[in-house]
Amino acid sequence: MKRSNDFLVGLTVLVGVAAILAATLWVKQSDLRNRKERATARFRDVGSVRVGAAVVLRGVRAGRVERIELAPDGWVELSMALDPGVTLPRDPVVLLNESSLFGEWQATVTEEAAVPRDEVVERQLAEARKAGGEAWPGATLPDIAQLTAVAGRIAGDVASVAGRFEVAFDDQAARELRSSIRNFASLSATLSQTVKNQSANLDALSADLRVGMNRLANSAETVQRVAQRIDSSTATGEVRKIVADVATAAAQLKETSEEVRAMSRQLTRSQGRLESVLTTADSVMLKINSGQGSIGLLVNDPTLYRNSDSLVVELRALIADFKAHPKKYVNLRVF
Amino acid sequence: MISAIGRSVREGVEGVGRAGHFVAESAGATRDFGTWLPLATAHARTLGVDSLPIALFIALFTGIVLALLASYSITGAVPLYFVGTLVEKTITMELAPVLTGLALAGRVGANIAAELGTMRVTEQIDALETLAYDPYSYLVVPRVVAGTIMFPVIVGIAMIVGVAAGWISSVLLLDLSSADFVKGLRLFFTDFDVRYGLVKSASFGAAVTLIGCMHGIRASGGAQGVGQAATRAVVYSATMILVLDAFWAVVWLLGKSR
Repeated sequence: MKRSNDFLVGLTVLVGVAAILAATLWVKQSDLRNRKERATARFRDVGSVRVGAAVVLRGVRAGRVERIELAPDGWVELSMALDPGVTLPRDPVVLLNESSLFGEWQATVTEEAAVPRDEVVERQLAEARKAGGEAWPGATLPDIAQLTAVAGRIAGDVASVAGRFEVAFDDQAARELRSSIRNFASLSATLSQTVKNQSANLDALSADLRVGMNRLANSAETVQRVAQRIDSSTATGEVRKIVADVATAAAQLKETSEEVRAMSRQLTRSQGRLESVLTTADSVMLKINSGQGSIGLLVNDPTLYRNSDSLVVELRALIADFKAHPKKYVNLRVF
Repeated sequence: MISAIGRSVREGVEGVGRAGHFVAESAGATRDFGTWLPLATAHARTLGVDSLPIALFIALFTGIVLALLASYSITGAVPLYFVGTLVEKTITMELAPVLTGLALAGRVGANIAAELGTMRVTEQIDALETLAYDPYSYLVVPRVVAGTIMFPVIVGIAMIVGVAAGWISSVLLLDLSSADFVKGLRLFFTDFDVRYGLVKSASFGAAVTLIGCMHGIRASGGAQGVGQAATRAVVYSATMILVLDAFWAVVWLLGKSR
C-alpha cells in the first residue's frame, strides 16, 4: 500500500510538473534547441512593449521580444529572438508600435528607406545610430494615447473656435444674415431670368451653329468627292496626261516665244528701214514743199491744178459726148 | 457591552496567539524528517491524488463557462481572439488556484479536521504524546507538507485542463478558429502567470492543511466537537484562501503593475 502510494504520488507529481512545463514552453514558444537568431536594438524609450511581444518583419511574425533591459547612457536595449532562416534587410531598424487598439505592442523590423517620414522618428534613429555598436537603431512610434491626446487638443481648439463663433453670431448678425439671404433670393431670381434668356439665345445660336455645321458637313462631303475624283484621276493617269499636255504647251509656247523674238528682231530691222524710208520721204516731202522737182511743181503750182481741172472737165464732156455719140468716135465694120 | 468588546478582543488575540503557536510548533517539527517524511506520501495520495478528479471536473466546466462568458462579454469592437487571452489569464492566475483551493478546502480541510478531531476526542493523540510521539511531526507536518506540495500539482493540471476546455469549447461552440484562440492565448502570456498561480496554490495548500490540523487537534466535546471542528476548518480555510488571494494580489501583482 505504501509503495503504491509512493508510485501514484510520484507519477502525479511528475505528470503535473511535466505537463505544466511543456504547456508553458509551448505557449511561450521557447527555443530549447537555441536555433533562433538573436538581435539587439537600442531605444531611448520602449513604450509598452513587453517581453514576449511579437517581432514582425514585412507584416509577418518572425520572432519575439526576449529581453528588455536598461543600458548605460540612458538607452534601453531590447533583445529579440528571430526565427531561423529569416532574411533581414540590409540596414535594419526597429520600430516599436501598437499592433492593435487594445494595448498590444510589437517590434517591427524594417529597412531605413521604409521608415515613415517623421521628424521625431528620424531623430531617434539618427541618435541611436550615432551611439554605435552592434545594436540596431530603434525608434518608438507614438501610441494611441498620445494620438488621442493630440486629437483631444484639436477637439478643444475646435470647441474654442465654435464658442467664439457663437459669441460672434449675435442677433444683429442673424438679422444681417436673414437680409443677405433675402438679397440672395432676389439675386437668384434675377440670375434665373438671365440664365433663361441666355438659354434662349444659346438655343438660337445652337440652331445657327447646327446649320453651319450642316453646311460645313456638305462642304466636307464636296471636298471629299473632289478628293475622290482627284484620287480616281490620279489612279487613271489623267493628271499625268494633263501634265504631259502642259509640257507640250510649254514647249509650243517656248517655240512661239522664239518666233516672236525673231519677229521682234525683224521688226527692229524694219523699223530702221522705215526710219530710213521716212527720212527719205521727209526729204522728198521737203523738196515737194519747196517746189523742187516735178511733184513739187505739181503740188505748189496752182496753174497745173487748174489745167488739170479744166482737163477733167473737158474729159467729162468728152466722155458724155462719147456716150451720146459713140459712132462719132468709133466706126466699126466687120466686112 | 464594554465587557463583551473586551472579551471579543481577548478571544481574537488568543486565537491569533494559538494559531501562531501552532504554526511555530509545526515549523519546529519539520526538523524531524524521520517521522513525517515516510508518512507524507500517504497523505499526498489522500489529499492530492484522490482530489484530482474533483479538481479536474471543476476546471473542465470552469474553462467552458469562461470561454462562453468571455465571448459574450467582448462582442463588438474587441476581437474575438481575446477569448484566448481571457481564458488563459483568468484560469491560470485566478480561477484554477482559487476554485480548486476552495473545493479542496471543503474536501481536505474537513477531512483533516474530522480525522484529527476524532483522534483527539478518542484520546489517540494523547496516546501518541504518552508514547513520546510528537503529534506535530507525526500528524501535522506530513499533512501540511503533502498539501503544500500537491496543491500546486493539482492546480497546475487543472490549469491545463481548464484552458484546454476553454479552447475546445471556443472552437466547437463559438465562431473562433483554433489559430485565433492560440493567438489570444499567447498574446499576453508570460511564465509569471503560471508561477503566480502555482505559488498561490501552494500557500492555499499550506493554509488549508494547517487550519484543518489546528481545528482537528483542538477539537473537544465528542462527535459534536468533531463536527464543529470540521465546519470551522472549512469556513476558516475558505476565508483564508480568499485572504491569501488578496494578499498575493496586493504583494505581487501590485508590485508588477507599478
